[in-house]
Amino acid sequence: MTLLTEAVVKIPISLEVPVGPQHPALHEPVVLKLYADGEEIVNVEILTGYNHRGIEKLFEMSSFYKGVFIAPRICGICNTIHANVYVRAIEQLLGMEPSPRAKYLRVLALELERIHSHMLINAIMAEILGYDTLFMLIMRDREYIMKAKEILTGNRVTSEYFMPGGVRRDIDDTKRERILDLLKRVKPRLEYYKKLFETDPTVTNRLIDVGVLKPRDVVLHSLVGPVARGSGVKTDVRAEDRYDAYGEVPWNVVTRREGDSMARMLVRWDEALESWNMCEYVLTHLPGGQAVVDERKLPRVLPPGEAYTRGEPPRGELTYYIIGYGRDRPYRVKVRTPSFTNIINSGFSYIGYSIADVPVILVSYDPCIACMERAVLIKNGEEKRLTLKELANMKKR
Amino acid sequence: MSIWQEILKNVFKKPVTIEYPKVETPIEKDSRGLQYADLNKCTGCSLCAIECPSNAIEMRKLPENIKLKHNPRGLYPVINYPSCIFCYRCITICPVNAFVTTSEYRLATETDKLFSDVYSLKTLGQG
Repeated sequence: MTLLTEAVVKIPISLEVPVGPQHPALHEPVVLKLYADGEEIVNVEILTGYNHRGIEKLFEMSSFYKGVFIAPRICGICNTIHANVYVRAIEQLLGMEPSPRAKYLRVLALELERIHSHMLINAIMAEILGYDTLFMLIMRDREYIMKAKEILTGNRVTSEYFMPGGVRRDIDDTKRERILDLLKRVKPRLEYYKKLFETDPTVTNRLIDVGVLKPRDVVLHSLVGPVARGSGVKTDVRAEDRYDAYGEVPWNVVTRREGDSMARMLVRWDEALESWNMCEYVLTHLPGGQAVVDERKLPRVLPPGEAYTRGEPPRGELTYYIIGYGRDRPYRVKVRTPSFTNIINSGFSYIGYSIADVPVILVSYDPCIACMERAVLIKNGEEKRLTLKELANMKKR
Repeated sequence: MSIWQEILKNVFKKPVTIEYPKVETPIEKDSRGLQYADLNKCTGCSLCAIECPSNAIEMRKLPENIKLKHNPRGLYPVINYPSCIFCYRCITICPVNAFVTTSEYRLATETDKLFSDVYSLKTLGQG
């Protein structure tokens, strides 16, 4: 009998399938370690740390105003909101208030960015489904928004539009008309793509009832942004904080109850249309006055104190926490991006679905790994101890 | 609803892709492109080099044969374009508005565009 028990070969109940950090279905460096029983996923481990750039340290080493140009580099797609939230934190420290025109222009830049970001992730979703024609079409129409952003800020992607106390360039009537004209071309396209996502069987067969999140799960795992709104949790920092001109521009928080991948993508299309309305309102109701701030007159040294600001990027809730210590540079800048909670905490939502559904669920969370890398965990690396004096000297250039 | 109608429509349209070297990319006149210092205005105060977020500006000494009254220290900013992030902080911070802005975005095609000293020294010839 003993011989028989020894001869039994142990068959693992689950198969380990690593997806990433480089993988055709992933656009960003993250590892999803899947444990699959046949086709069904039984466990998921999410490993990050492939794109850590030490940006928080860079903030501490640079002056407050250099930080205004470092913050947008955290994320390329949502660069304006990073700059906006950082700038509002500095304004909080300085006790400054931008002019109404500057606030409206800020909303315009932020909402243009939301439209193109939502178009981008919907295009990527189409690509992940193998629907490359739709990907190409959405990316083609996204160019209208990129052009509008170029007219407004001076660059297609990195806008460099924000400065404590206002914005960095104004628009005249010609530019306003051109942006309105571009927006008019985009609206029928947004409506068309939304309808296509709702009705095309290529999309619906892969998205409906995949990656269902209950409202309880969303709150329990502190998921934010369109992921939460797709499950019926009405949370939006723009509505809660009413920063910049969001208290004056009429708009609605979009929610859906289904909670599946389809609901999350449709929330994004609805939000893009809502942002379109906001952009049009801002351009037609632009208040007069001075919007551009004279950067030469801004104080170089900021008073000691702390500032905590929040914003709503296309992906969820972004927070900046800044400590000033009466010098020209911050003592500490802490950034928490929406993907940090949405990706790291969402491992539970893959369980029970098949391996083929994993890219769909991941993309429906709109991952932005470059944004969220704030720390690296080195498991078997060397240990290095630094004294307080050495740490302090690291700050000096 | 099917995408076929849209695809058929696009078959008879011109391609959207720009054939770049043959056709120029449409770019705004005031988009942020190459910038350089106008030495007729620059006082050599080094504020742009101090404020540059990417440390792309280096203050160099003017050639020995050039003496400028408004520039007693004889320094002028040279922008290293490959390091430059085109944020235009140097332009907005300059106390004498000495920078000339262009919408030139092609950095790889001509090698003499890697540093701004060529353009800056040309401004003296014009003035």
